[in-house]
Amino acid sequence: MASVPPSRLQALTKLRCSIFQTTYNPDSLRTGAKYLRARLRGPSLVGYYPERVNISQIVRSYRNRLEMVDDDEEERLQDVIERRRRGKGAPPKAKKGAYCDRLNLTVI
Amino acid sequence: MAPSARVLRDMKARKGAQANEIARRAYLFVARNETLSPQVRHHAQLQLNTFGRYTRPATCSNRCHVSGKGRGIISEFALSRFQFRVKALRGELPGVNKASW
Repeated sequence: MASVPPSRLQALTKLRCSIFQTTYNPDSLRTGAKYLRARLRGPSLVGYYPERVNISQIVRSYRNRLEMVDDDEEERLQDVIERRRRGKGAPPKAKKGAYCDRLNLTVI
Repeated sequence: MAPSARVLRDMKARKGAQANEIARRAYLFVARNETLSPQVRHHAQLQLNTFGRYTRPATCSNRCHVSGKGRGIISEFALSRFQFRVKALRGELPGVNKASW
Protein backbone atom coordinates (compact mmCIF):
# COMPACT_ATOMS: atom_id res chain seq x y z
CA MET A 1 0.00 0.00 0.00
CA ALA A 2 1.41 3.33 -1.06
CA SER A 3 1.79 5.74 1.86
CA VAL A 4 0.30 9.24 1.51
CA PRO A 5 2.66 12.10 2.40
CA PRO A 6 1.46 14.26 5.35
CA SER A 7 1.45 17.41 3.24
CA ARG A 8 -1.14 15.85 0.94
CA LEU A 9 -3.29 14.85 3.92
CA GLN A 10 -3.03 18.40 5.28
CA ALA A 11 -4.08 19.83 1.93
CA LEU A 12 -7.00 17.43 1.89
CA THR A 13 -8.12 18.58 5.36
CA LYS A 14 -7.83 22.21 4.32
CA LEU A 15 -9.92 21.60 1.23
CA ARG A 16 -12.49 19.68 3.24
CA CYS A 17 -12.75 22.60 5.68
CA SER A 18 -13.30 25.08 2.87
CA ILE A 19 -15.99 22.88 1.31
CA PHE A 20 -17.92 22.16 4.51
CA GLN A 21 -17.28 25.62 5.99
CA THR A 22 -15.57 24.39 9.13
CA THR A 23 -12.58 26.04 10.79
CA TYR A 24 -9.19 24.82 9.65
CA ASN A 25 -7.26 24.34 12.87
CA PRO A 26 -4.36 21.93 12.25
CA ASP A 27 -2.65 22.61 15.62
CA SER A 28 -5.89 22.03 17.55
CA LEU A 29 -5.56 25.40 19.29
CA ARG A 30 -8.28 26.46 21.68
CA THR A 31 -10.21 29.26 20.01
CA GLY A 32 -12.63 29.99 22.83
CA ALA A 33 -15.51 29.46 20.43
CA LYS A 34 -17.37 27.38 22.95
CA TYR A 35 -17.93 30.47 25.12
CA LEU A 36 -19.62 32.20 22.20
CA ARG A 37 -21.48 29.14 21.00
CA ALA A 38 -23.03 28.19 24.35
CA ARG A 39 -26.56 29.40 25.01
CA LEU A 40 -27.05 32.29 27.41
CA ARG A 41 -28.03 30.92 30.78
CA GLY A 42 -29.27 34.21 32.29
CA PRO A 43 -32.97 33.93 31.42
CA SER A 44 -33.31 30.42 32.85
CA LEU A 45 -31.24 31.39 35.92
CA VAL A 46 -33.50 34.35 36.69
CA GLY A 47 -36.68 32.37 36.03
CA TYR A 48 -35.87 29.66 38.58
CA TYR A 49 -37.94 30.95 41.48
CA PRO A 50 -41.67 31.48 40.95
CA GLU A 51 -42.98 35.04 41.02
CA ARG A 52 -44.03 36.17 44.48
CA VAL A 53 -46.57 38.88 45.16
CA ASN A 54 -45.06 41.53 47.38
CA ILE A 55 -48.02 43.42 48.88
CA SER A 56 -46.05 46.21 50.53
CA GLN A 57 -44.17 46.91 47.29
CA ILE A 58 -47.44 47.19 45.36
CA VAL A 59 -48.91 49.49 48.01
CA ARG A 60 -45.81 51.66 47.86
CA SER A 61 -45.97 51.95 44.07
CA TYR A 62 -49.67 52.98 44.14
CA ARG A 63 -49.41 55.20 47.22
CA ASN A 64 -50.22 58.48 45.51
CA ARG A 65 -52.75 57.16 43.01
CA LEU A 66 -54.89 54.66 44.88
CA GLU A 67 -56.14 54.28 48.39
CA MET A 68 -54.78 50.91 49.50
CA VAL A 69 -54.36 49.67 53.04
CA ASP A 70 -51.68 47.28 54.27
CA ASP A 71 -53.46 45.80 57.29
CA ASP A 72 -50.31 44.46 58.97
CA GLU A 73 -48.54 47.81 58.66
CA GLU A 74 -51.60 49.71 59.96
CA GLU A 75 -51.79 47.38 62.96
CA ARG A 76 -48.12 47.86 63.71
CA LEU A 77 -48.39 51.66 63.56
CA GLN A 78 -51.47 51.52 65.81
CA ASP A 79 -49.50 49.40 68.31
CA VAL A 80 -46.65 51.92 68.27
CA ILE A 81 -49.08 54.78 69.03
CA GLU A 82 -50.70 52.77 71.83
CA ARG A 83 -47.38 51.90 73.39
CA ARG A 84 -46.17 55.47 73.24
CA ARG A 85 -49.39 56.65 74.91
CA ARG A 86 -48.74 54.27 77.79
CA GLY A 87 -45.18 55.51 78.11
CA LYS A 88 -43.75 52.21 76.80
CA GLY A 89 -42.43 53.51 73.50
CA ALA A 90 -38.86 53.36 72.29
CA PRO A 91 -36.66 56.06 73.85
CA PRO A 92 -35.67 58.97 71.61
CA LYS A 93 -32.34 58.66 69.88
CA ALA A 94 -29.51 60.29 71.81
CA LYS A 95 -28.01 63.34 70.16
CA LYS A 96 -24.37 63.04 69.33
CA GLY A 97 -22.28 64.06 72.32
CA ALA A 98 -25.15 64.12 74.81
CA TYR A 99 -24.07 60.82 76.35
CA CYS A 100 -20.50 62.06 76.78
CA ASP A 101 -21.70 65.32 78.39
CA ARG A 102 -23.74 63.41 80.93
CA LEU A 103 -20.74 61.29 81.96
CA ASN A 104 -18.32 64.24 81.91
CA LEU A 105 -16.24 62.56 79.27
CA THR A 106 -14.20 64.26 76.62
CA VAL A 107 -13.69 62.68 73.27
CA ILE A 108 -10.06 62.74 72.30
CA MET B 1 -43.89 32.37 53.49
CA ALA B 2 -41.37 35.13 52.86
CA PRO B 3 -38.13 33.97 51.20
CA SER B 4 -35.23 33.38 53.56
CA ALA B 5 -32.06 35.45 53.44
CA ARG B 6 -30.27 32.67 51.59
CA VAL B 7 -32.96 32.54 48.93
CA LEU B 8 -32.76 36.33 48.61
CA ARG B 9 -28.99 36.06 48.23
CA ASP B 10 -29.46 33.44 45.53
CA MET B 11 -31.96 35.70 43.73
CA LYS B 12 -29.37 38.49 43.85
CA ALA B 13 -26.73 36.16 42.42
CA ARG B 14 -29.04 35.12 39.61
CA LYS B 15 -29.85 38.71 38.68
CA GLY B 16 -26.16 39.65 38.72
CA ALA B 17 -25.21 36.63 36.65
CA GLN B 18 -27.77 37.56 34.03
CA ALA B 19 -26.71 41.21 33.93
CA ASN B 20 -23.02 40.40 33.48
CA GLU B 21 -23.27 37.27 31.38
CA ILE B 22 -22.50 38.77 27.97
CA ALA B 23 -19.51 40.82 29.19
CA ARG B 24 -18.08 37.83 31.02
CA ARG B 25 -18.50 35.61 27.96
CA ALA B 26 -16.64 38.14 25.83
CA TYR B 27 -13.72 38.26 28.26
CA LEU B 28 -13.74 34.47 28.55
CA PHE B 29 -13.56 34.18 24.79
CA VAL B 30 -10.49 36.42 24.65
CA ALA B 31 -8.80 34.90 27.69
CA ARG B 32 -9.20 31.30 26.53
CA ASN B 33 -8.36 31.98 22.88
CA GLU B 34 -4.93 30.52 22.16
CA THR B 35 -4.69 32.23 18.78
CA LEU B 36 -4.45 35.67 20.44
CA SER B 37 -1.32 37.14 21.97
CA PRO B 38 -0.47 36.21 25.57
CA GLN B 39 -0.57 39.88 26.66
CA VAL B 40 -4.12 40.36 25.42
CA ARG B 41 -5.23 37.11 27.00
CA HIS B 42 -3.63 38.06 30.31
CA HIS B 43 -5.38 41.43 30.32
CA ALA B 44 -8.69 39.74 29.62
CA GLN B 45 -8.07 37.36 32.51
CA LEU B 46 -7.28 40.29 34.83
CA GLN B 47 -10.54 41.93 33.77
CA LEU B 48 -12.38 38.68 34.47
CA ASN B 49 -10.92 38.66 37.97
CA THR B 50 -12.42 42.10 38.68
CA PHE B 51 -15.97 40.74 38.36
CA GLY B 52 -17.56 40.34 41.74
CA ARG B 53 -18.94 37.30 43.43
CA TYR B 54 -22.53 37.92 42.42
CA THR B 55 -21.76 38.01 38.70
CA ARG B 56 -20.76 34.39 38.26
CA PRO B 57 -23.30 31.78 37.29
CA ALA B 58 -21.48 29.33 39.58
CA THR B 59 -22.57 31.35 42.62
CA CYS B 60 -26.20 30.50 41.89
CA SER B 61 -27.38 27.33 43.55
CA ASN B 62 -30.76 25.70 43.20
CA ARG B 63 -32.78 26.04 46.38
CA CYS B 64 -36.13 24.59 47.36
CA HIS B 65 -39.12 26.64 46.14
CA VAL B 66 -41.08 25.95 49.31
CA SER B 67 -38.63 25.74 52.19
CA GLY B 68 -35.52 27.41 50.75
CA LYS B 69 -33.30 24.49 51.70
CA GLY B 70 -30.08 24.19 49.72
CA ARG B 71 -29.43 20.48 50.03
CA GLY B 72 -31.24 17.40 48.83
CA ILE B 73 -33.00 19.23 45.98
CA ILE B 74 -34.86 17.18 43.40
CA SER B 75 -34.20 19.49 40.49
CA GLU B 76 -37.05 18.32 38.23
CA PHE B 77 -39.47 19.68 40.81
CA ALA B 78 -37.17 22.30 42.43
CA LEU B 79 -38.15 20.92 45.83
CA SER B 80 -36.16 19.56 48.71
CA ARG B 81 -36.59 15.85 49.29
CA PHE B 82 -38.91 16.35 52.24
CA GLN B 83 -41.14 18.94 50.52
CA PHE B 84 -41.21 16.63 47.52
CA ARG B 85 -42.48 13.81 49.72
CA VAL B 86 -45.09 16.00 51.41
CA LYS B 87 -46.42 17.33 48.13
CA ALA B 88 -46.36 13.93 46.44
CA LEU B 89 -48.33 12.35 49.27
CA ARG B 90 -50.85 15.18 49.06
CA GLY B 91 -51.20 14.42 45.34
CA GLU B 92 -49.99 17.87 44.24
CA LEU B 93 -47.35 16.51 41.86
CA PRO B 94 -48.98 15.07 38.72
CA GLY B 95 -47.66 11.66 37.76
CA VAL B 96 -45.89 10.99 41.05
CA ASN B 97 -47.20 8.04 43.02
CA LYS B 98 -45.92 6.26 46.07
CA ALA B 99 -44.21 3.06 44.99
CA SER B 100 -45.89 -0.14 46.02
CA TRP B 101 -45.24 -3.69 44.82
